[in-house]
Amino acid sequence: MKKTTFALALTFTTALSSTAFAADVPTGTKLAADQTYTYRILDEFASLDPQLNEGVAGSVVLRDLFEGLYNQDSEGNNVPGVATHHDVSADNMTYTFHLRQDAKWSDGKPVTAHDFVYGWKRAVDPALASPYAWYMELMSVKNGAEIISGEKTPDDLGVSATDDYTFVVNLTQPLPYFAEMVTHTTTFPAPKWAVEAHGDSWIRPGNMVGNGAYTLTEHVLKERSTRVRNPNYWDNENTVLDTVVALVIGDDAQGLTRYRAGELDKTDIPAGQYPALKDEFPAEAIAVPRLCNYYFSYNLASGPEAFQDVRVRKALALALDRNVIVDQVLQGGQFPAYNFTPSATAGFDVPEIDYAGLSQAERDAMAVELLAEAGYGKGGKPLAFKYLYNTSEAHQSVAIVATQMWKQKLGIEVTLENQEWKVFLENRGNQNFEMARGAWCGDYNEASTFLDLLVSSSGYNDAKFSNARVDELMAMAKSSQDAGPLYTEVEQILSQEMPVIPVYHYSANMMLKDNVMGWPVKNVQQQTYSKDLFKVAK
Amino acid sequence: MLNYTLRRLMAVIPTILILIVACFFLMRLAPGGPFTSERPLPPAVMKNVLERYGLDEPLYVQLWTYLKNIVLHFDFGPSFAQKDRSVNDLIAQGFPVTLTYGFFSAIFVLAIGIPLGVVAALRHNSFWDYVMTGLAIFSQIFPNFVLAPIMVLLFTLSWGLLPGGGWNGGQWPYVIMPAVALGTSYMASVARLTRGSLLETLSAPYIRTARAKGLPEHTVLIRHALKPALLPVISYMGPVFVYMITGSVFIDIFFSTGGIGQNFIDAAYTRDYAVILGLAILYSVLTFVLLLLVDLIYAWIDPKVRSDMS
Repeated sequence: MKKTTFALALTFTTALSSTAFAADVPTGTKLAADQTYTYRILDEFASLDPQLNEGVAGSVVLRDLFEGLYNQDSEGNNVPGVATHHDVSADNMTYTFHLRQDAKWSDGKPVTAHDFVYGWKRAVDPALASPYAWYMELMSVKNGAEIISGEKTPDDLGVSATDDYTFVVNLTQPLPYFAEMVTHTTTFPAPKWAVEAHGDSWIRPGNMVGNGAYTLTEHVLKERSTRVRNPNYWDNENTVLDTVVALVIGDDAQGLTRYRAGELDKTDIPAGQYPALKDEFPAEAIAVPRLCNYYFSYNLASGPEAFQDVRVRKALALALDRNVIVDQVLQGGQFPAYNFTPSATAGFDVPEIDYAGLSQAERDAMAVELLAEAGYGKGGKPLAFKYLYNTSEAHQSVAIVATQMWKQKLGIEVTLENQEWKVFLENRGNQNFEMARGAWCGDYNEASTFLDLLVSSSGYNDAKFSNARVDELMAMAKSSQDAGPLYTEVEQILSQEMPVIPVYHYSANMMLKDNVMGWPVKNVQQQTYSKDLFKVAK
Repeated sequence: MLNYTLRRLMAVIPTILILIVACFFLMRLAPGGPFTSERPLPPAVMKNVLERYGLDEPLYVQLWTYLKNIVLHFDFGPSFAQKDRSVNDLIAQGFPVTLTYGFFSAIFVLAIGIPLGVVAALRHNSFWDYVMTGLAIFSQIFPNFVLAPIMVLLFTLSWGLLPGGGWNGGQWPYVIMPAVALGTSYMASVARLTRGSLLETLSAPYIRTARAKGLPEHTVLIRHALKPALLPVISYMGPVFVYMITGSVFIDIFFSTGGIGQNFIDAAYTRDYAVILGLAILYSVLTFVLLLLVDLIYAWIDPKVRSDMS
C-alpha cells in the first residue's frame, strides 16, 4: 500500500480523450455504397518499413498499416492508439505507456509492449542503418546516441516491457513534449517474427504483418498501392473506408486532370491555380495551414562582409513585401511570416515582433534608413550578392520578386543562381552560398522543432548563426514545463539579429471531393488516418 | 552468319565493361550523394548508412564488388532510394510495363506508318498523297509531350473513353494512349520513309521488267518492290525500337505507367548509383541486341549483305 502511494506521488497520469477514434459519422448520414478512396502521390515511397520510412507520403500509408502508441485527432491532439494512457515520473525522465489488450496484428497475434521494444531497438540498430535513427536521439531515449554511434548495443536502449501491456521509456533529459513525438512512424511497433521470416521483403504484400486499420494488398512501384480493411484491427467496427488506393502521378497538371475525370478523390493543386480552382470548385479546393516555414538564409560564416552588419540583414528583411509574395506570386493561401515558428504550432503564441505591426511603407522607409546607416545602397557602397535556390518554378518566382524588391527599394543587385536539388543541398550545407532559400517542416507539433534549427550546434543551421542566449534558452526549454516564454524570447532575439529572413508559412493546397468527410483540416501536421475518413452518398 | 552473330555478341562484353567503369566514375563526380538530404544526416547515422551500402569502401573495392556480384550472382545491387528494393526488383517490375507499351507502340508505328507510305507512293501526287503528307507533318509538329495532354483532354475528360493514366496490370484501355502518344511521330517518319523509298524502288528497271513479264501488280508490289523499299525503314526502326522498349521518361511520368524510363531520371536526381548503372547496362545490352537483330533482318532481306557477312 505504501509502495503504491509512493508511486502515485512520483508520477502523474495523462489520460487521453476517449471520444471516437475512428470515423466520426453523424447519425442519419447516408454512406456511399462504394467506400473506395483514391488519392494522388507525387513520388514513390522510399520505404514502407516504419523504421526506414523518411517521406511524408510514406507516413500516410504507414499510419494506416501500423499503429503507434498514440494517434492524432482531427486537430492534432494525441488520442489513444495502442496505448490508452501513460504515466510520467516526477523527474519527467521515465514514461510508462499502458497498452490496450484488444490490439492485434493482422495475423491475429496480440500487439504487446515487446513489439514496441523490438521496433524501437530496430530503429537505432546500426545494422538496419535507418536514416531516421536520429529521431530516437532527438527523443532523448537513453543510450540512443551511443547505440547509433556503435558504442553500445541495441539491447542497451532505454526501453523495456515490464509486462505484455506496459511499455517503459527512459530518457536522458526531461522532454515536456515527448508524448507528442510518439505519433511518428519511426516509433511504431514491428513484428519480429515477420521481419525475421522475410528479411527486407517483410513489407511486401502477402508478407507484411501490420497492426493498423488496413493491410497492404498491392504495391506496384511507381504506379499504385492498395490497402484494404484489416478485420483484426481493434476498432475495425468504426472504420468506414473499405479500400484506399494511392496512385503515383508525377505531374501536377495530370493529377488535376485525372481528378476532374473522376479518377481521384484527392490531388494537389498545381502552383498558382488555387484562386481559379477555388472559384470553380468552392467546396473542393482547400487551403489549410501547415507546420512548415519558408525563409532566406544568410551565410554568416563566409558570406559577404555586409551580412555581418545586422542593419543590412534587417534592411533586407524589412524591404521584403511578404503580402505580394503570398497573395500575388504564390496564391495558395500561405501566410506572411515575420517570425520563424508558424503560428499554427501547438502551444505557441506568436510573440510581438516589432516590424510585423508596421505598414509596408513604414518598413521600406526603415530599410532605406538602416541600409544608409550601414553605408550601403543608394548613395553608399554598392551591395551585391548571389541568391541560391533549387530548381522549381515557385522558388524561382519568389526569388525574382524578392530580388526586384531589393533592387527597386534599396538599390541592391542580386544575382540569381539556380541549382539542381542535390547540388544545391551540397552547396548550402557546405556554406558555398551567399544567401539561400530554406524551408522546414516540423517533425512534431512544438516550437522547438523549428527553433532548434538556429542553435549553434544544429546541423541544419545553414546560416551558421551563433548566439549564446539562444542556445541557453533552447537548452532550458528542453526541461521546462512552460517553454512558451523561452520561445518568445528566442523569436525576439531572431527578429533583432535576423540570421534568416522569415518569408511565409506554408499552407496545404488540395482538391478533395466533397463527398469525402473526416479530413483533418485543423491538424497542421496533416497527419491523416484513412480510418477517420468516410464517403457519403450524393 | 552464326560466326558473325557470335563475334558481335562477344564484342558486347568489353564494351559493357568500359561503360560500367565510365559510368561508375562519372556518377561519383556529380556533387551530392545518395544520402544528401534537406536534413543532413548526423555523422554517426551517415556512417551506418554508408557502411550498409558499402559506400564507405574505397572506390576500386566498390567497383570490384559490383562487378563480382553481377558476374557471380547476376545481382545489380540495392537501390539507395527505394530502401527495400534491389535494382533487379526495379527492373523486373518496370521493364515488362515499358516493353508492353513499347511493343504496341512499335506495332502501331509499323501497322499505320507502312500502309500510309505505300498508299501515298502508289497514289503519288494525288489527294491521298497529300493527306498522308499532311498527317506526317501534323504528327511531327505534335511531339508526345504536346500530344499526350491533348489525347487525355479528348479521350478522358471530354469523351470519357479511356482512363487518363495508370497501368492497372496492363489492361488494354491503359495501354492505348501511352503507345499511341509514344509512337505517333515515329509513325509519321516511317510513312515518309516508306513513301520515298517505295517511289524510288518502283521506278527501278527490275520492276519494269517484272511488270513486262506480266506479273500481277500486287505480286510486283509486295514481292519485288516493298521488300527492298523497307530497308531504310528497318534501319530507322532499330534505334527507335530500342528507345521505345527502354521507355520514355515523359510517357512514364505523364501516364504514370510505372515503366522503367522514370527510374532512370529518378535515379539521376537521387544519385541512386546502382540503379543508374543497372539501367545503363540494360539499355546498352538491349541496344546491342536490337541492332544486331536489325543487321540480321537486313541480311535476310538483302542477299548482298548476307554474302558480305559470311
